[in-house]
Amino acid sequence: MLASVAQPHGDQDVQPLLVVRDLQAYYRTSHAGVRRGIRAVDGVSFTVRRGEIYGLAGESSSGKTTLIKSIAGAIKPPLEIVGGSMEFAFLPGYGGLHRAPRAMVERIRWRHLSYIMQGSMNVLNPVRRIGSSFIDFAYPHIGGSRKQFEQQVVAHLARVRLDPSVLSAFPHELSGGMRQRATLALATICRPGFIIADEPTTALDVVVQKEVLGMIRGIQRETGSSVLFVTHDMGVHAHITDRLAIMYAGRLVEEAATAEIFGNPLHPYTKNLISSLPRIGEDAPRTGLGGAPPNLADPPSGCRFHPRCPLASEICSRKVPVMREARSGHRVACFAVNGDDPA
Amino acid sequence: MNDLLLDVREVSKTFVRGRLLSREKIVAVNKVSLQLAARRPEILAIIGESGSGKTTLARMILNMETPTSGRLLLDGTDLATINGSAGRLAFMHRVQPIFQNPFESFNPLKRVERYLLMTRLRFAGTAGGSTTAEAVDAALHKVGLSLREVSGRHPHELSGGQLQRVAIARALLAEPKLIVADEPVSMIDASLRMSIVNLFRTLRDELGISIIYVTHDLATAYYISDRIMIMQKGSVVESGDARDVLKAPRHPYTYQLREAVLLPEVANVSANATSSMNGLISPGTPERRA
Repeated sequence: MLASVAQPHGDQDVQPLLVVRDLQAYYRTSHAGVRRGIRAVDGVSFTVRRGEIYGLAGESSSGKTTLIKSIAGAIKPPLEIVGGSMEFAFLPGYGGLHRAPRAMVERIRWRHLSYIMQGSMNVLNPVRRIGSSFIDFAYPHIGGSRKQFEQQVVAHLARVRLDPSVLSAFPHELSGGMRQRATLALATICRPGFIIADEPTTALDVVVQKEVLGMIRGIQRETGSSVLFVTHDMGVHAHITDRLAIMYAGRLVEEAATAEIFGNPLHPYTKNLISSLPRIGEDAPRTGLGGAPPNLADPPSGCRFHPRCPLASEICSRKVPVMREARSGHRVACFAVNGDDPA
Repeated sequence: MNDLLLDVREVSKTFVRGRLLSREKIVAVNKVSLQLAARRPEILAIIGESGSGKTTLARMILNMETPTSGRLLLDGTDLATINGSAGRLAFMHRVQPIFQNPFESFNPLKRVERYLLMTRLRFAGTAGGSTTAEAVDAALHKVGLSLREVSGRHPHELSGGQLQRVAIARALLAEPKLIVADEPVSMIDASLRMSIVNLFRTLRDELGISIIYVTHDLATAYYISDRIMIMQKGSVVESGDARDVLKAPRHPYTYQLREAVLLPEVANVSANATSSMNGLISPGTPERRA
């Protein structure tokens, strides 16, 4: 049963779970007639297949948080979706959660789409016991008798190796790792088709982190959910994701199967990102990139990486490179890799 | 006469939590000793998870926390005997801190060069004017910046990496012998992290500054440190040459920590994930509420 649903590179004919097309999400402000725009996500396209863990890597201010906010439909001014669409398999025809009627979104949340956030304290209500949070969030979607529901919760908690006694605890009474496992159980009890995981293990200690990652993987395998996994930590990506996209200054620069990204990175930014990681047992010097990530209120022209790029040529400051398949399943946006073909 | 720059002798720190009747003692640091030689600058990494007492130990070395028992000697002077502003200033001349989040260590309303100029004035006495600006510029050059680049800017106008460099430049203005850096790169973006880490090495080699690098990140600790000290629940469980300790850990906890490091080169992700999943399904004892 496990093997049948968990085929990350399975049938491509099956409709993908999420298709993001040319998404543009800007922060627009206007003070005393002066308009400013921050192009946090600028023309991002990707597809999340069924049953895969799709990783999204990028440093702070690369726009990855804006991207997942847009996908989750958490769009509040000054954030605006300026263009593009996000098509979910379970919400066809709307082009994004923000365009669907409210009642429909309420039904979809937790049932089809759930979240695991970095600060579990922000998800769990601090004045409600864990058990009450389960009833608040999940019971309306699962229904049935209260007794049955409780049995289901206890069985599900066992999957993340939590004792039923945590249900009567308040969030602050649990350790960080236990709390994050409780949020993981909460996010997956309705067996949603799509889970957005935003730096879910960043606040955890390394030993606990590995354990929680194993649990996320285990539950994902069992339920066949798709996961959009966002973190800046390349070690975590190597450990858990099936495919990986690298984001830089609001755009995707590279996307491929995770092993391919680590084994054969093509974009100069990805190359540096991977080669600069220190490893225990290796003494070769590592160098960081010069310069600093760009200010998105005033991004560099053309390729946004060109001021820091060792391979930059004249065209890079003039034209925006598009994501192109450099080899099978490996897309990259770089003139030095793809050449300058007019398209 | 003093061969030791820093001599930490069996320091302990106990915090008391709770009220009169439900008192609970928490031993944050338990009889930790460490020495840094005066003549041979080195980078010592103190490694531990949250709650291991590594930050409390660092704060005691910075004289921001007084030990419950034990002594800390800097150049042979007991930190407990330092009092008065002159004594504190002399101490700060020798030891400087660098904190985790550079955005929290700078006042967002002040321009960054003001900090640097004030720091310089404080340590160099009254000599103001152009020599102060020159000294600040020289310190910024040591970290790969210049006064021209940062002048007139507020902290939020610099990137995290740049601001952390400014924080290091500020520490250098005091011309210290020891820098205590508590998780200095964990908030810094990956593409900038290694340049900061490499900078610590330069400080050791070119300026002869010893560095205590407090972190939970074994990989960067392995990369830059000469010696390593692993702490668990307030006690040192293993210490020694960084390469020896991390290549062949003796203590099970060190081994456990090293095994938990996620290597950025897992070739077969799915095979790996399956094995960790087996651990999940196996009926291990569920964790109870403490």
